[in-house]
Amino acid sequence: MTSKIMIDVKNLTKHFERKIALSSLSFTIKQGEMVALIGPSGAGKSTLLNSIARLVPLESGEMLIDGQNISTYKRGKAFAKKVGVIRQQFDLIGPLAVIHNVLAGKLADWGTVKSLISLLVPQEKDAALMALERVGLTDKAHEITSTLSGGEQQRVALARLLVQKPEIILADEPVASLDPARADDVLSMLTKIVSEDNQTLIASLHSVDYARKYFDRIISLKNGAILFDLPTEKVTDEMLAELYSLKEHSSHA
Amino acid sequence: MHKWKTSFRLHKRFILSLILLAVFGWSLFAVKWDADEVYHAGGIPTLGQIFKGLFQPDLSPEVLSKGLEAAWITLAYAVAGMSLAIIYAFIVGVLASGTLTSSRAARLANKVFFRGILGFTRSIHELVWAWLFVAAIGFSPFAAIFALAIPYGGILGRIFADMLNDVPKEPIKALWAAGASKLEVLFYGYLPLVRADMISYTMYRFECSIRSSAIMSFVGLGGLGYQIQLSLADLKYDQVWTYVFYLIALVVLVDIWSNFVRKGLTDRKRRRGFSTGWRASLLAALLIAGSWIYIYFIDHADISDLFSDQNAEYAGKFFGGLIGLNENNPAFFDAESWASALKLTYETLEMSVMAIGFSTIAACLTVIPAARNIASGNLTISKKWYNWPLYGLVRLVYIFSRSVPELVWAMMIIFILKPGILPGALALALHNFGILGKLWAEVIEDMDPRPIRNLAASGASKIETLFYGILPIVMPRFLTYVLYRWEVIMRTTIVVGFVGAGGLGMDFKLAMSYFQYTQITLLLLCYMILVVIADFASESTRKTVK
Repeated sequence: MTSKIMIDVKNLTKHFERKIALSSLSFTIKQGEMVALIGPSGAGKSTLLNSIARLVPLESGEMLIDGQNISTYKRGKAFAKKVGVIRQQFDLIGPLAVIHNVLAGKLADWGTVKSLISLLVPQEKDAALMALERVGLTDKAHEITSTLSGGEQQRVALARLLVQKPEIILADEPVASLDPARADDVLSMLTKIVSEDNQTLIASLHSVDYARKYFDRIISLKNGAILFDLPTEKVTDEMLAELYSLKEHSSHA
Repeated sequence: MHKWKTSFRLHKRFILSLILLAVFGWSLFAVKWDADEVYHAGGIPTLGQIFKGLFQPDLSPEVLSKGLEAAWITLAYAVAGMSLAIIYAFIVGVLASGTLTSSRAARLANKVFFRGILGFTRSIHELVWAWLFVAAIGFSPFAAIFALAIPYGGILGRIFADMLNDVPKEPIKALWAAGASKLEVLFYGYLPLVRADMISYTMYRFECSIRSSAIMSFVGLGGLGYQIQLSLADLKYDQVWTYVFYLIALVVLVDIWSNFVRKGLTDRKRRRGFSTGWRASLLAALLIAGSWIYIYFIDHADISDLFSDQNAEYAGKFFGGLIGLNENNPAFFDAESWASALKLTYETLEMSVMAIGFSTIAACLTVIPAARNIASGNLTISKKWYNWPLYGLVRLVYIFSRSVPELVWAMMIIFILKPGILPGALALALHNFGILGKLWAEVIEDMDPRPIRNLAASGASKIETLFYGILPIVMPRFLTYVLYRWEVIMRTTIVVGFVGAGGLGMDFKLAMSYFQYTQITLLLLCYMILVVIADFASESTRKTVK
């Protein structure tokens, strides 16, 4: 397996109204890696993921995606083949049928006419059904998405990523609103799919337990800076205690 | 069978859209689309003159000061009417909500009785009320004020009652448990919970009442509409626009004020000193006092005049006429009259469908750039330089469209097109597309942006984002607003008919002018049939989409 560098971040800095959100972050992530992003609320996890997804513009610093500067990617279609995002289940279109939400992963490939016809007669149905089979939802293809449970909706979002096939998957709190059993279910499915398809995964998580259980590398953020960036087995309880301690925070306030 | 059912469920919105489109298409057949049939001989040049007036309104001091006075009269009638409407709505609304009754039977009886009253008072358009009052009590400002207060009170009261019924039950139960009396529960529980919604809905209605007050002029009562009517009769289009601009300014001012009040209501932070709420209440009190003082002392309207013997005689004759006293062959027992009235009812239905069809199409074409979150690029993460100018332009057109009452649009259009269903439908559409566009844009602005941004991030083009993301989410609410506006349009067809734009309204005016009282009753009956049809059709359509 090649180990080419998929994400290369140098001195990434970002402010929100003079408050620092990310301060001079640098790291690289290789293809096939599964990285957990942890840290207290407001540490900058979402901002970092949104920067990689180009949802917020870069302020200073440099970011290469698959060796190419992120700002040189053509808007939309080409970039969607590189980077895909999954969040809590809020990013599905509730009133649409499940199959259309899954096929939305194909919109980057399809022309306008084809995508409009697909709303009446689903196109490339096999791809969608195969993806749904992998997440165990074959029988729900024609349900209205908003009638599904939270865990099921998250699996629909996974199926959409399967259809979209991006090289990098960014997961922003993918299990934040699920109970522990459903969260385990979704995370094991996500990491299984990623390793089967040799994709690269960065997931921000609230729970350290999930990070240790499913990911091979942990990057921790605190106040917009990297506190540690280590293989999972080298992360100690002391480090985690420091990461989540309130002391330093309150002395600033 | 099962498969057929799922495929129906999946496509029911699409099927419904097709049906609605077909209904709109059917309504278009009501018009003979032939240039000679549609236009007046001099219609097109007149259109040019009207347009010229739009860009060169008459700004002479004389017209400006006349406009200012007319604007004040319009405002004063609206304020006075609304102040009565609020009292009526509050009392009957609370009674209709059944919150003051304890036994189940009493509550049901209360609800049916008082909701019935509210329903009856709002199902008749304010202009018809005005006409009835002028016939009964003559050209008194009170005719305009009562004509506004009654239907507006009916609408407000119904909404108040609905709000009181929808209050969360837990805090109310807690008050009961604490031993509060029914009135105490009302003042400590229900009212604080619905206060903000009540005020913001009342402000919205106040804005509408300005327009209604302006058109009161068409039954001969003063105000901006009266001036517009006079100028149109003199073919002075530049003056017409000056007065129209006054009306727009009035509506916009009220709109700004109500935004201010609403913001004050949602602002959780308490500021020291004079809060927004106090300032707004003071302004409202001043306006109400000023309006009533003006009406009493300067307009010399005396409430005791209303109860003169002469007025009692007029009113008695009028209402007796309506139910067919001293009439050998009342129109509502005459098969022939019914046949012709039902034909007009059918035409009116076609007019309303055509009107809502036109406004829906116009709103569809314009609503996307009119949403703030699309203009700023927040929703679709794509920013273009033309977004903001386009947003401003569309919003300006919306304000323009909805500030001018249907009746004024109709009066202008009737100079260009021949009388019939088409000018009526166009006038209704011109007024309603701005309202529909504004309501729709707000739906888009209130959307959860996350799913849409995610679609855009996964490579969907603009049009794909529209069809896969925005439309499926906003469609049910869009449709609700279309149906709601259609019901309103149905009631308003009578008004555009007054100026000769076809349908039941035209016949209504004729019956009024010739004192054919039983014919009026017959036409009002036809209107009620239409309103029932509209309620039923829109209710069942709404259920299908859910």
